[in-house]
Amino acid sequence: MKRVIHIVMSRPLSILGVGLIALVLFSALFADLIAPFPEHRGTVVDFSNFNQPPGWPNIMGTDLVGRDLFSRIIYAYRLSLILGAVVLALATPVGVAVGLAAGYLGGWARFLLMRTTDVFLSIPPLVLAMSIMGVLEPTLINGMIAVTAMWWPWYARLVYNITLAEREEGYVLAAEVIGASRTHIMFREILPNCFPAILTKMTLDLGFVILIASSLSFLGLGVQPPTPDLGSMVAEGARYLPDSWWLTVFPGLAILVAVFGFNLLGDTLRDILGSGQ
Amino acid sequence: MRAVFRLLVARLFVSLLVLAGVSVLIFAIARVIPGDPARIALGPNATHEQVAALRGQLRLDESIWSQYAWFVNDLSRGELGQSLYTNRPVVKDIAQFLPATLELVIVAGILMICAGLPLGMLAAKYRGGVIDNVVRLLSLLGVSAPSFVWAVILMLLFAFYLPLFPIAGRIDTAFEVPGVTGFLLVDSLLDGQVAAFADALRHIALPALALALSGIGQAARLTRANMVETYDRPYVEMARSYGFPEWRIARSYAFKPSLIPSLTIIGLDFAAMLGNAFLVEAIFAWPGLSRYGVAVILRKDLNAIVGTVLIISAAFLIANLIVDLLIALINPRIRHSRDAS
Amino acid sequence: MRPVAKNLIAAAAMSAMAIAATAESVLRLDEVAVGELDPAKASDYADSILMFNVYDTLVIPRQGGPGHVPHLAASWEGSGNEYLFELRTDVSFQSGNPVTAEDVVFSLDRMQTLGLGLSFLFTNVESAEAVDSHTVRFTLAEPYAPFVASLVRLPIVDKDLVMQNLGEGEGDMGDWGQAYLSANGGGSGAYMVKSHNPQEETVMVRNPGYFLGIGEKAPDTVRLRYGLEAATVRTLIAQGEHDISSQWLPPEVKRALAEDGNQLLTEGGTGSFYFKMNTAKAPLDDVHCRLALANAFDYGSVLKLIAITDAVSEGSAATGAVTAGMFGARPAGTMLERDAGVARAHLAECSHDPSEFSVEISWIAEVPLEERLALLLQANLSEIGVNSTIKKIPWAAFAGMVDSAETTPDVSQIFVTAVTGDPDTLLYGMYHSSKAGTWQSPEHLNDAEVDALLEAGRVGASDAAREEAYSALNDRLLAIAPSIYGFDRQSVFVARPGIRVPALSDPAQAFGLDTMGFSFRLMEIE
Repeated sequence: MKRVIHIVMSRPLSILGVGLIALVLFSALFADLIAPFPEHRGTVVDFSNFNQPPGWPNIMGTDLVGRDLFSRIIYAYRLSLILGAVVLALATPVGVAVGLAAGYLGGWARFLLMRTTDVFLSIPPLVLAMSIMGVLEPTLINGMIAVTAMWWPWYARLVYNITLAEREEGYVLAAEVIGASRTHIMFREILPNCFPAILTKMTLDLGFVILIASSLSFLGLGVQPPTPDLGSMVAEGARYLPDSWWLTVFPGLAILVAVFGFNLLGDTLRDILGSGQ
Repeated sequence: MRAVFRLLVARLFVSLLVLAGVSVLIFAIARVIPGDPARIALGPNATHEQVAALRGQLRLDESIWSQYAWFVNDLSRGELGQSLYTNRPVVKDIAQFLPATLELVIVAGILMICAGLPLGMLAAKYRGGVIDNVVRLLSLLGVSAPSFVWAVILMLLFAFYLPLFPIAGRIDTAFEVPGVTGFLLVDSLLDGQVAAFADALRHIALPALALALSGIGQAARLTRANMVETYDRPYVEMARSYGFPEWRIARSYAFKPSLIPSLTIIGLDFAAMLGNAFLVEAIFAWPGLSRYGVAVILRKDLNAIVGTVLIISAAFLIANLIVDLLIALINPRIRHSRDAS
Repeated sequence: MRPVAKNLIAAAAMSAMAIAATAESVLRLDEVAVGELDPAKASDYADSILMFNVYDTLVIPRQGGPGHVPHLAASWEGSGNEYLFELRTDVSFQSGNPVTAEDVVFSLDRMQTLGLGLSFLFTNVESAEAVDSHTVRFTLAEPYAPFVASLVRLPIVDKDLVMQNLGEGEGDMGDWGQAYLSANGGGSGAYMVKSHNPQEETVMVRNPGYFLGIGEKAPDTVRLRYGLEAATVRTLIAQGEHDISSQWLPPEVKRALAEDGNQLLTEGGTGSFYFKMNTAKAPLDDVHCRLALANAFDYGSVLKLIAITDAVSEGSAATGAVTAGMFGARPAGTMLERDAGVARAHLAECSHDPSEFSVEISWIAEVPLEERLALLLQANLSEIGVNSTIKKIPWAAFAGMVDSAETTPDVSQIFVTAVTGDPDTLLYGMYHSSKAGTWQSPEHLNDAEVDALLEAGRVGASDAAREEAYSALNDRLLAIAPSIYGFDRQSVFVARPGIRVPALSDPAQAFGLDTMGFSFRLMEIE
């Protein structure tokens, strides 16, 4: 614990990361209290006050139907975090199971599982998610499915590589000798050794999931209005550059802040857990 | 050399296998898209008979297996069918748009290497110092925003407020560059038009930088990490104790081995950039495969979706193949033992 | 020849070329993502710009007034089921082939066989025959008063050229030249296609042999670019690198450009914006519920939303169910207005209880303005106690959903334009029961009186008879309210100061036909 505190405190960037994430989490959790106009997350119109530059009371300006941009960005954070958490909660177990099985069982299982993983990894991530969203209706749930479909192979790869190395370790061989079942060895012996790497990757990935999801909605294939979403805000605002710059710049910076925070945190975590992945 | 050749054949075989898998996957995805592509293609005024006729022509009423068999048959003759969106062969559409996207991605890749590696080396050399922390901050920032956000920021700063660069397109319409390779930067030089080359370069600068920013950060961080690791190796210590100049140690002992993981990441980043090009092209009105890709997905243009994804995946596989070969050439150990997966 | 003289001549030739190069005028404009060059497939604005400049039609609308004037035709006569057209004898295609009666017959055949684009306008034409080399007889299955008006949508194609360039296909006619005409021009129009790339750019140059001649100041070259982003167009115009924007720029961007000193061009009078209500599904199957919505809508706010400057707007207040300027339109002063009291009264009479239903308001994903209109209607409805939800639907999906009344949204937002400028092509497709369930008719209206009036309008023997029929139709449509008649639409384009487009700026020279204002031969570049 002392070491953890030391690593965090000795690096100003780590403190910044923790701070940013705290800020993002706090505003997402207490959006109803922080947002000056909570009702603006939905369908509200105020054509007497639309497309206004930053000022008071709309510190980030208003959008094209007169809604407060700051309030909408805060609610968009909440949505992004939920989406990121759900995607990782779905993708990690799938990827881990595939990676463990392929790495430990070997043979045909390895060939089949890892070649399937390769197929998914051979389609550029965004393109795969786009194709899937083309099939499905653009809703929050389907967006999660599409991003999950492109995410699990990375965990499969990661766990596969670790398993390959761990398989030859003494403790695994010992377990085999005393006749432990394969499931026991995979999930009770090898899996715990994958945790540090998985945890680090998940922290880093939370940021990247938010990034990819916003890219999807930027292309019109993600969450639909009136639900506030950072990617679609940037896309919609881009039509009004440079005059109404606040429509794109603030949501864009909001993405940057959140992802940057998770990256700094993941970076720190990597140092603490000391995994070289 | 023979070993490298054998590796090439093996990797090529695996790549083809993977590509076949991609074709099955994307074909299946494209066929379950809801909405009748024939109805969408013919427009709202078409009669039911016309729709039925087009469905027959597209073999949409046959089983999915039979459709796939026809698709493979066409593919073996180098055809990807007709696009319902442009009414042209998909191959022709892709041939037209792919060079612009590839040019953008390649220039971004070059930027990534030329900026990322030196930054990483600098950071490793002065690790723990100010430069190291600045590089770390910049590289983290680079990967922390989607490329469309960088595109918007760069465009606002350097095309709107400081009009240093053009805002959209590949080249000014005043220039007429004969198409040979499809890469304007190459074609303009082949034709001896230096002004056109300069103009094309000015056009590609901002989109390529927006696309490369996240890659630059990653390449820098990776190079730094690996160089730091090799700096601590005994043989480097030994070289140092022999009094070898520091620059020579950096180049010969620390840089070369650390190149391998960097190359791997560059291969992966190339894939990411092929996808992210969709985002950058939209902002800079870059006439590449992206506008086509998004439009055909929204219009359920089956042949065009399958063709576009297949081509992009093939480009990705080829890039990784090249990276693998380079690594094998650099490192004899990997040449012999590298696991195919 | 002595070397010096040779050099002098070469130098003179070069400087002459340089002058020619600098004197060449270029007009740069932009449109949606794809331009279709084959005239038989032309349907949207971009396609029509190409069609009206590369091809000619037998007649064109009279500028600044109703009716049509001869164009490729020298004269015509006929009514009821039969029309006889005499062609000009002095017109050649861009290929050099003369324009003959055979070409007219071929063009109609091709349009009808392919059955794409706006070919539905000609399903009623039984046959066209070449009486002699320059006379064509059209025979209709049943009388159709706006037949002559519909001919503005029958571009005449060079038959010999197409026959030389038939592509693969079933039967003698192969692909009917589709492959060729989607990449090359084949008409007699004022501009020739130099290069065509359907998703990037079409480059057109003057046709020196055009039969009407082309004004000195008309552009030598026209570059029509596709799919430019709004922000791009905005900057290009500001930097003087773009001449005329498309109408699809957001109003805010047009406003910013107008404030910078650019001019606004307008084209209107041929269509309207509607909230279309599904009359075949509860709760809007009850006329009182529909009237409640129609009276609740804030017709005044919508005008603020679409205003660009104090003087120019993307539309004007609706006067009734028929667009102002057409047969049967109500006088200019009688604007539709919001009346919450009347709306509440109708709601009380509606057989559905407002506390038990919610109205689904859809908007087309490709038209961002509609999201704002949906939000406005939603706010209006909540004031009279009607709940609603908003749903974004991509165009492609929408076109499929309207097939059946069950899947059609309660409220759909549609811009409809009369493709020939005649009210028949606006109203028949929207409200006749035989046409129910297309993108134009998500009302699924089935009203015998409306059907009868629509039929009377299209066979009306005289203008007076047609005026009477459409006027009665207007009253009936207001009484049963299948739609909320939002506003009369006007297309607004931004142009650089140096461009003169009389057909889009001077009402006395307007064509009264969507897109015809983009006849490049009538434009002037300073």
